[in-house]
Amino acid sequence: MTLIAAEKSAALQQPRAASRKRSLFDTMIGRGLLQAGAVAVLLLLWQFGVRIGWVSEFLFGSPSGVFVVFLRMAANGQLLSDTAYTLFEAILGFVIGTISGSVAGLALWYSIFVARLVEPFIVAINSVPKIALAPIIILWFGTGLVSKVALAVSLTALVALIAAYQAAKDADTDLQALLISMGATKHQIFWKAVVPSTIPPIIATFRINIGFGLVGAVVGEFISSQRGLGHLIYNASSFYDLNTVWVGLFVLMLVGFALYYVIDAVERLLIPWKVSGTVHQVQV
Amino acid sequence: MASAPVQLSVRNIHKAFAGRGAEVRVLDGLSFDIHEQDFVSIIGPSGCGKTTIFNIIAGLIEPDAGSLVYRGEDIASLRGRVGYMMQKDLLFPWRTVLGNVLLGLEMRGVAHRDAVERAREHLAAFGLAGFENAYPKTLSGGMRQRVALIRTLIMDPGILLLDEPFSALDYQTRLYLEGLLKQAVETFHKTVVLVTHDIDEAVALSKRVVVLSGRPARVKTVHDIEIAESSPIAARSDRRFAGYFRTLCGELDIQTEAKPPETKQPEAIAS
Repeated sequence: MTLIAAEKSAALQQPRAASRKRSLFDTMIGRGLLQAGAVAVLLLLWQFGVRIGWVSEFLFGSPSGVFVVFLRMAANGQLLSDTAYTLFEAILGFVIGTISGSVAGLALWYSIFVARLVEPFIVAINSVPKIALAPIIILWFGTGLVSKVALAVSLTALVALIAAYQAAKDADTDLQALLISMGATKHQIFWKAVVPSTIPPIIATFRINIGFGLVGAVVGEFISSQRGLGHLIYNASSFYDLNTVWVGLFVLMLVGFALYYVIDAVERLLIPWKVSGTVHQVQV
Repeated sequence: MASAPVQLSVRNIHKAFAGRGAEVRVLDGLSFDIHEQDFVSIIGPSGCGKTTIFNIIAGLIEPDAGSLVYRGEDIASLRGRVGYMMQKDLLFPWRTVLGNVLLGLEMRGVAHRDAVERAREHLAAFGLAGFENAYPKTLSGGMRQRVALIRTLIMDPGILLLDEPFSALDYQTRLYLEGLLKQAVETFHKTVVLVTHDIDEAVALSKRVVVLSGRPARVKTVHDIEIAESSPIAARSDRRFAGYFRTLCGELDIQTEAKPPETKQPEAIAS
């Protein structure tokens, strides 16, 4: 949804003439070439800088070194196993946190009394930077998988809860009134009007929360772990092995990138009525 | 018409809302009768409380005082027994056309298979066959309001409450839907109460027109419209049409002098 909104506003801002006479580069292939070219130039400058001694290989690594490490770790399977481990922690934390948070947030719709009662507590808990909980969570849940998942849950659950509750409060009251006039019970109103209308805003939080899931997993691994991309990065940086650090970061980026598009697909699947409408986008 | 038995009697309804400082009396002893198979239009100045009456009848809000009598029986409201249709089509965007039409039947717990069969029949009768799986977003305003009309009719409600259902549509679409409504009402023998600010629409469709005074709303006059033509277009060319129109305009005009004009009022008179 955020992407679509951005596209829309970009389309609106574009001057008329520019959109009529599209540049040769403003095509799928053209843009791809430009983007790849920019990355290539950056890498070449970096490599060149290291070669002539302007950039310290000790502190920054080098593209060729990163590439060698990447190939070695990919070949011996370590990269795959670390990635899978971190990905598993992040996704598990994301799923548990998002689902429990969303369910709790929706449930608050049922009772204004309870909602008002717990609201200050939610705000208070939410204002604690959750990362600060990491040391306690490691104490409580140990150094294994559970602590990383717990950290990811702590980061995602309240975001989902607040978003779901807000969305439930914002659900169209006219639709609810219509259902009441049809003789609907509170239960029916909840399931037929409130829950469906909260799906798009809840899915919008997926995008934020999948990132938080990764943050939880990686930070958990920083503090104490034997495996995972966070472990890899932390370990390598303590040995000044910058090339390995870059490999870890690069793979994390790829993972985040892939998850973003997975969420995109989930969105398309869950809210076809919303996505199908974007065909009629304004083109200025 | 006067001989038809009273179906719904609205008796001495009072309703006030908390406004800034003082409370605002919207309805102050409002009473009127709706007959069996009646078609009553309620017209009156904007903000005089027409929608409030509907909300009370439909059970969305409670009156401060007064009673509703439905077929001789005292009731709190007609919740679950009315078909309420508003200016906004209020189609559920996440439901397809078929899903929207099924909404009321689901509420009643009608078996899914029977409900779908009935919905398909209704959609076909209103020229919407083939659109069952379309989402509301892809439909035109007129089609959406047609779906809303089907959704209302399929529940076989005792009374249809129509709150300016066509006012957001262009004139041609409105004429078409008026005709469709009139036909449907006659086919299914429905009772209709229509709130409109469109005098022309009120005269063309109704058997009776109730004119309300400004806030707090009271019944000013009730006019029987004796135009036999059933089609709204033919009714508009009846020789008595202009007479009714002028009379009703006149009655509303008096009301507009009583308080400063609101933004919606000029268009009500102009149409």
